[in-house]
Parts: sequence; structure tokens; C-alpha cells
Amino acid sequence: MPRKPNNSRQTRALLAALLDRSQTWRHGYDLAKETGLRSGTLYPLLMRLSEQGLLESRWQEAERPGLPPRHVYRLTGPGLALAREQELTAIAAERAGALA
Amino acid sequence: MNAVPGLWRRWAVKLAQYASWVLPGAPSPWGDAMRRELDYIGDDRAALRWALGCIVASYRARLAHWPSFSARIAGRHVATSGTLMLLIGLALLENAGGQTPSPPPTFDETTCDVPDVSPQLRPRLRCGTISVPRSYDNPNAGRFKLAVVVIKSEQQPSWPEPVVYINGGPGSPLTVYAAHQARIPYAPRRDLILVDQRGTGRSEPSLCPDLASKLLDATLAIAATNTEEAAANRRSTYLACRDEAIAGGLDLRNFGTRVTVEDLEWVRQALRVERWNVYGESYGTTVAMTLVALYPDAIRSVVLDSVYPPDPVPPWSTTVNDARDAFLAYCARNQVCSTSFPDLAGTYQDTLAKLDQNPPVVAVPPQMRQPDDRVRITASLFEVGVSDLLYYANAYPTLPRMIQSVHDGDTQGLGAVLASQFATAATLNRATHAAVECRDRPHFRKQLPSDASVLDRVQLFGVCDRWSEPGPSPLVPERTKVPTLVLAGQFDPVARPASSRHVTALIGDSARFIEFPLIGHNVRQFSPCGARIASDFIDHPEQAPDTSCTHRMAPIRFLSKMQPP
Repeated sequence: MPRKPNNSRQTRALLAALLDRSQTWRHGYDLAKETGLRSGTLYPLLMRLSEQGLLESRWQEAERPGLPPRHVYRLTGPGLALAREQELTAIAAERAGALA
Repeated sequence: MNAVPGLWRRWAVKLAQYASWVLPGAPSPWGDAMRRELDYIGDDRAALRWALGCIVASYRARLAHWPSFSARIAGRHVATSGTLMLLIGLALLENAGGQTPSPPPTFDETTCDVPDVSPQLRPRLRCGTISVPRSYDNPNAGRFKLAVVVIKSEQQPSWPEPVVYINGGPGSPLTVYAAHQARIPYAPRRDLILVDQRGTGRSEPSLCPDLASKLLDATLAIAATNTEEAAANRRSTYLACRDEAIAGGLDLRNFGTRVTVEDLEWVRQALRVERWNVYGESYGTTVAMTLVALYPDAIRSVVLDSVYPPDPVPPWSTTVNDARDAFLAYCARNQVCSTSFPDLAGTYQDTLAKLDQNPPVVAVPPQMRQPDDRVRITASLFEVGVSDLLYYANAYPTLPRMIQSVHDGDTQGLGAVLASQFATAATLNRATHAAVECRDRPHFRKQLPSDASVLDRVQLFGVCDRWSEPGPSPLVPERTKVPTLVLAGQFDPVARPASSRHVTALIGDSARFIEFPLIGHNVRQFSPCGARIASDFIDHPEQAPDTSCTHRMAPIRFLSKMQPP
């Protein structure tokens, strides 16, 4: 059976991390540390979410001189909606598990 | 065991650099995005692990852009294939071992050496160069410096998201005309970015700078005599330039619209522009469309003024004939024109027949370097001259009178017109023109029929198949979401409104098409109405522009027939 898009464990973890501080622009390395995803998994997910219009990105000037600008990310409106939907689904699943 | 201090870090940088190459559509921002994180990872081993992951990420992205293969290896084969790809990547890294990491794109400011700049404009200019890779496939191949001028908005602070203007040609200079470009702002509150495309203006490389003057004689010979010898001479002039370029170390595969697009993306990153508004004109529309297709996230809006679509395109002679017929038909409908020049279409054909029988000789200025400063006006040369005048709406008032005068045997002013046309043509770098067109346009590799029009015989047929191998095609951003405005001039002899309308349909719902009556090539330059619509669109690309001014275009103020003294 084909897998539902954006429903892998890794994608859900990433969406949850981005939703957690949805107004903050997040760096790749910080997201990797928070989610436990390696860069080889994290960036394909970021690229895919970006292509799907669920994630926006921009370059952010370095906080300290001598360091390069960083690419930063945050969820778009549709991205927030998807992340919230997945969060609600997870909560419902947990509740169902607790009642079972 | 401790490694030699810094060694793992250096490997990490090299691996991340390699990952950037592997990514599709390099220089992808994702390559930089992953690589720059290394500077924020303090631990060298963690940096190395990060960089190895970057390679995996890049191969995964590449596979995602290769659907059939991607589908085949989906599922349980992913892990195996990913490992295999990583091993291949590491093996390939041996070849990359000797190279240094590519420095990020930067804008190196210099003093501005731009002519005709007013004291008011001067403080608004930022001039400099941006070094781009000669080859986006081989970072070891060195760099070209591109000349860039940024014209700051008159009102500060500028609004974000500047305008980048992409000019035509290919092969025409741009930054030298910065003062002219500043006169009518594309969007008054935004900065304007001008770039000399590689091989043009003040950008490197310098590709056969004297080719235009060498080709003048060859082109005049083709217009004078439709012989194979004239065509062969012109071809050998081009190919001598090609040999000279290759002997000078240039790889002619490093030209073409796809390369120009990568250059512009490099420029955007060097100028730290997050998103920009793109204004493409003439050949610049080819670049602009490909830029939108490949880098849509970096583009807020795009204007396509006088569209030059990718192949297939009709022969130039067909486009010119359509435009000339439309112009002559307009003259027949216009009271002043039809009164002064009844049956101008017939007069035009009569003129060609007369010139065929008895081509007059006219005096031309010494800078054309013609024997005795004279040129024979053949029917073919006259046809080329009239076609050229159709580009410029400001030539329309005098065009019927010029045709009538030549018909009546008065060729007094024709030498000056020719000289002006050739002076304009000489600003185009013909070698760069060929270098780009031969990579982009497969139709130039076809054989021309022996009775082909002179308008087609002075194109690149017979040159391109020996110039370089064909390159990747320019693109049309079909179904893009980037708001797009398409402008076309009714009498454009090179970018027919019908082609622009077709491109608009391909782009889809995000594109709006406006045809401007009584205008030729380069709508914005010759139509204040077009300039205003474009400016409004750039500021509010999601809104439908007010096009009412296109219905109030003043009729052409034709000059009447010259009266005998």
C-alpha cells in the first residue's frame, strides 16, 4: 500500500518541532539536534516540504561577524495546518490508546 | 585516538562541497544551506558526520528529480542504493581531493566607471564584480568576473525585493547604459540590478571583440550576392573566432541560457537578495523564463517584454514579413499615411524590384570602413534595413517616406540610416551571440534551402553545427505560480504577438498578456503606457493591471511625402 505523504515518523517529528516554535525561524543543525534526524534525512524532508509549499526559507545574516549567513526555515500557513492536523491525530490516537 | 587537528574538519568541508555539486540545479541554495551549517558545528567529528549526511541528502534529492529510477529503487532498496551512492560519492571524491572549497558568492565593489551619469545619480550607484564559476560542472575550471551595477532607488529606504533587468542579444552590453536605465524606473521604490552577461560588456571573458567589424563585410557581401562563396566567407569568419576562443582556453560549452541562469542565481546570492522581481526583454525573456522555471522560490514577479521563446520558432523571415505586412496594412488604414503614400505595400515591392535591377551606390561614414566609403544598396540590403527599422517604434513616422524616397530614386539619407543601424549592431558581441544561440537553438543546425530569404541567410545557419555541441534547452515555466506579465508589440519583427500569446497560455493562470498597438520590439522602452503598466505590476503583481491606456494609444504621426524643392 502506498505510504501517505508527509506521514512518516521522521516527517511528523520535523513538523512537530517546527510547530513547537512556529513563529521562530529555525536552523538546520538545531532542527537536527531537536529531532534526532541526521542531515541526510533532515534536508530531503526540508526540500520536499519546501517544494510542497509547506515550508518557507530565507537567508539570515550571521549573529557574529566572520560567520556566513544561515538558511532558516518556518512553516507556511498550509504547513502549520498540516502540522496541527497531525498533532491532533496523534493526540486522538493517544487518547484512543488510553481508552482501549 | 586523536586525528591530526583540523583534518576531519577539512574533510567535512570537502564532503559538504561535494554534496553541493551532487544536488540537482546547482548552485542550489540547499547546497549552501547544508554546507554553511558546518561553521556552526563546533565539534569536528560532528561536522564530519553532518557532511556525510549532506552527501546522502544530495543523492536523495538527485534521485527525487529522476523519477523512473527513483521509483525503481523505492522501498526496501533505498538503504542499499543510498549506501552504494555514498560509496560512489566517496570514490569520486578522490578526484576532487585537490580542490579547495568554493568561496561563497560575493560582490566586490569597485569605483563606478559609467558614462553620462548625472551628479544626482552618482551616489545611487554601486558598481563591482561578482566572480562566478566558469563551469558549473567543474568548480576547478576557474572563474569569470561579471560586471554588476546596482542602482539604488531614488527614495530611501528602498523597498525589499529589487528588480533585476535582463537585457537582450544575446551578446548586448548593459552596465554601460546604467544612466539610461535609471531614467525611467522599472519600479520607483525598488533598487535595479544590471548585469553584463558572461562574454558581454565588461564581463569576462572577452570573446573575439572585433568579430562584429569583421562580419560587417561578410554580411554586406551576403546581402549583395546570394553566392555560396559569400556564405562560406561569413562562416569562416565565425569559425576563425571559434578557433581563437578555444586556443585561448575557452570551453564553448560554458555558454548558453542555462549557464546564464546559473550566473544570475549566483549574482542574487552574492547580493544577498532573498527574492527579486525579474524583467526580461527580448532574448532576456528566454533567460527570465528559464530562471522562473528553475528558481521560482527566488522570484516574486516576472515581466516578459517582447518574448523570444525557446525553439521551435518560425524563421525570422516569416516573423519579419508578418510584422511588415501588419505595418503596411496599418498605413493603408491611416488617413495621413494612405493619402501621402497610396499603396505603400505595392511601392515597397516595386522598390525591391528596382533595386534588384539597378542597385544604387550611397556614401557611408568612414567608420563603416567600406571601399571609397560607399555601399551598394541591393534589394536584400534594403530588406534587412527595413526589417531593422521595424524594431523601433520611433522610426515608424518616417518609414513610409523612406520607402517612397528610395522608390523614387532619392537615396540621399539612406547612408546615414545604414551607418546608424550598423553602429547599433556593432555593440552586440557577435561571438557571445553565437556561443549562446548555438547552445540554445537546435534549428540553426538545419540546412537552409537554397532560395532562403536574406533575412535567414544572415542568421547562424551553417555556423552552429561546427561551433559547439548543442546544450540544454531554455525552458518555459509552464504552470508556474510566479505572477507573470507578458508584453507584446503589434509590429514586433522578431517577437510576434502570436508567439507571446502562446507562451502566456503555456505559463497558465499566473500569466497576463497585453498587446500594445503601434509598438514594435521592447514595449517598455517605446511606450510610456507599457512602462507604467509594468511598474504597477511589479509593485502589485497579484492585482490585474489597469490596461486602459493601451486603448488610448495615439496614432502614428506619419511624415508626409517629401515635396520637391
